[in-house]
Amino acid sequence: MLRYIARRIGYMFITLSIIVTVTFFLMRGIPGDPLAHMARGLPEQTRANYYAKYGLDQPLFNQYLVYIKNLLQGDLGESVVYPGRQVSETIVTTSPVSAQIGGIALVIGVSIGIFLGIIAALYKNKWPDYIVMFIAILGVTIPVFVLAALFQYFFAVRLGWFPTSGWGQPKHMVLPIMVLALGPIATYARYFKSSMLDTLNQDYVLTAHSKGLSRFNVIRKHVLRNSALPSITLLAGRIVGIFTGSFLVERMFSIPGIGFYYISSINNNDYSMILGTTIFYAVLFVVAQLLVDLIYMLVDPRIRVAPDKN
Amino acid sequence: MKRHNRKTVLVLATMFALVLASFTVSASAPAIEFPLDAEQYINTYMVANPSSLDISLRSDTYSNSVIINTMEGLIRMEERDGEYFQARGDAYKWESNEDGTVWTFYLGENKWEDGVPVTAHDYVYSLRRSSLPETGSPNSYFLAPIKNFNEVNSGSMAIEELGVKALDDKTLEITLSEPLPSFLSMIDATIYYPQRQDKIEEWGERYGSEAQYTISNGPFKVHRWVHNSVVEIVKNDQYWDADNVNLDRVTWSIMPDETTYYNAFESGEIDFVGTGAQEWIDRFQRRDDVTFNSYTSATITYSFFNAEDELFQNANVRKAFMLAIDREDINEMAFGGLRVPTYGWVVPTISVGNINYREAAGDIIQEMIDELKAEGKTAKDLLLQGMEELGLGNDPSKLKVTFNLAGTDQWFRNLGEYLQQVYGYELGVNLEINFSEWGIFYDNVQKGNYQIGFMAWGAYYNDPYDVLSLFVSDYDMIETGWVNKEYDELIFKAAVEMDEQKRLDYYIQAENILLREEAVASPLATSRVNQFVRNYVHNYATLGFSNMGFKYVYTSGR
Repeated sequence: MLRYIARRIGYMFITLSIIVTVTFFLMRGIPGDPLAHMARGLPEQTRANYYAKYGLDQPLFNQYLVYIKNLLQGDLGESVVYPGRQVSETIVTTSPVSAQIGGIALVIGVSIGIFLGIIAALYKNKWPDYIVMFIAILGVTIPVFVLAALFQYFFAVRLGWFPTSGWGQPKHMVLPIMVLALGPIATYARYFKSSMLDTLNQDYVLTAHSKGLSRFNVIRKHVLRNSALPSITLLAGRIVGIFTGSFLVERMFSIPGIGFYYISSINNNDYSMILGTTIFYAVLFVVAQLLVDLIYMLVDPRIRVAPDKN
Repeated sequence: MKRHNRKTVLVLATMFALVLASFTVSASAPAIEFPLDAEQYINTYMVANPSSLDISLRSDTYSNSVIINTMEGLIRMEERDGEYFQARGDAYKWESNEDGTVWTFYLGENKWEDGVPVTAHDYVYSLRRSSLPETGSPNSYFLAPIKNFNEVNSGSMAIEELGVKALDDKTLEITLSEPLPSFLSMIDATIYYPQRQDKIEEWGERYGSEAQYTISNGPFKVHRWVHNSVVEIVKNDQYWDADNVNLDRVTWSIMPDETTYYNAFESGEIDFVGTGAQEWIDRFQRRDDVTFNSYTSATITYSFFNAEDELFQNANVRKAFMLAIDREDINEMAFGGLRVPTYGWVVPTISVGNINYREAAGDIIQEMIDELKAEGKTAKDLLLQGMEELGLGNDPSKLKVTFNLAGTDQWFRNLGEYLQQVYGYELGVNLEINFSEWGIFYDNVQKGNYQIGFMAWGAYYNDPYDVLSLFVSDYDMIETGWVNKEYDELIFKAAVEMDEQKRLDYYIQAENILLREEAVASPLATSRVNQFVRNYVHNYATLGFSNMGFKYVYTSGR
């Protein structure tokens, strides 16, 4: 077991170093440079001084070695487009913001989604089911930016209940959370409905009914618990996802989160920022993957690895 | 096209006449005509996070919008009753020697936000810091007129040799390498603002990266900056002219998405909004609580030819592609009727002294079209003539011509289709369009890997030199690969000519070489700025080259 974990951690580092290397060279293959946002030709000397400041004048491979050396010392470097801003500091300040709205939206979305899923399953092919499925289809088909614009128009312009955008007070969080929650609501309503229907057809449910348990108790004790398992699996991936933020929602509501940063750093050719955020995401996913696998091993003996040969 | 060019430097050339005289500006603030609201604040927006508030390192238009409000330079280009007005800044008086190479600025009693007086040493430190190669300042080339800048900036001369000196605490002397009529206008650029050595040494690289690492000497100071969300400035009580600053607070929300700022303007959360879309202009114009301001900017939209290309090395071919476009028509069909059709390279808003350049130089391209018509010829005849000179036969449909566009969205698709139709109809050419993202487009242009490109360029300051010098053979900022000694000479002569009429003549001659003789680039239209402002906002800036910012703004009846 310990050996397995050690080996997994070893693989983890190999995966990460491949990601860093590939990203480093791919990124430098993108046309344009960090000065391109000025959208005009600069005198040679100005350009040369700027590149020298960030070490971009060195041969690419040397830059790679320098980057790896700094990385091993835990230094992700300084942004190339925003002078004076450390990449690690930016990640530390922006990812909690994303996690905050993402987390609340996920909790609300999953709760409502599961609730709607139960209703839909219990009233299958009746009007509550149709309404829930209608909402679910809307939720997966309407693009986030359309939804955000609609919500801004109705709740900010028309009703004046919430500000269109901004960050810092609870009122700023309402609209983005509503937008972000609709996705999980739709997914979980559909997911929970089908897994519950599945459970309702199981023999043990029939047994429970036949031994005289009330409908409420059958659902509470036998159906819900068993239906919840697949949803929990689904949740693991989602929880990691909240730290990566939502580019569109953060952009439209002026939220200082990491998702918006990541995309704008790619657009601006902010090399150190692209690498730093990519590494952050990669670590997050790789570690989460490992944890999920470990939890599975604890929960389900069938998944356990084959015993060591010796 | 979609790129926003910085409006960094401003200039007004009316100062040229006064160059030799010592000159003092009286501080007359714009009048306050309405009763002030008890609470004085402005909410507005910008579409991207400022890169940095470090005077030496900032490079984008957004940091410029903040810095012109939080900093004070030697002078400040303001406006009174819709006209440019050269106001004093830190300097209350300045003079130059006879040949215009040595400038002396006398500083007033301004203070930094922490109460420390602003001195000539702050200016010397700032200009030196920006010139040092290791600083890597992207705007440093604005300091090029200063004596020994190039040598210092390339590291071949000691920093002490830079032509900047503090004669005493309150007297600054700047020496230029040669006379430059537009120098006084250039020093309103943020790169000429002062910096605090003690603070920068204390903060190191963090300087300018967060609100707490900035120090202001202007009408406002930075209060709060949440990256990608909000920038807030508040009144600076230490400012020398604080009595004329009415606002207590200005808040910019960072709103990259146009839906967001249109909605925010409608809901009353922001007091200003700009738009380039006709449907939103129509929509906001129906409101009676907002004022519409529309003015011609200094940004030109143009296509340009690769003078090193097999086909476009020929001037007649270039002329054919330049003259085949009806500028009224392209404005209606491709630019939504929102721009100003333009018939010369220098945009209509630029002047030489008090003379509007475009009016003096005439509509060169329109004249060429008329002359061609008078001769009974068409643009296609010019193309055939060029093809003959190149030995390419007489069938334009067999030519391989590719037009490069820096964008892939609907706007560019529409433009591409328009160009294909027009060039097909007028010249009989089967035009191919290459759509790509900006980075790829610009990379191709820089490598000379294109035939015709399409771009926009915003002038930095109000003098034809700013836009005509782009074609000087050694600069070649438009990347056409075009070389012309005569043109270079005219531009260099104009740059140092103190006599306005002579300068104007040089520029007009140069522009005629550029367009009439050589047709190196094909100017199409000048952009307009369409802005809506709530009626309760007063004394805001409306002129493109103004650096007045929010200094005199107030609200009445919010």
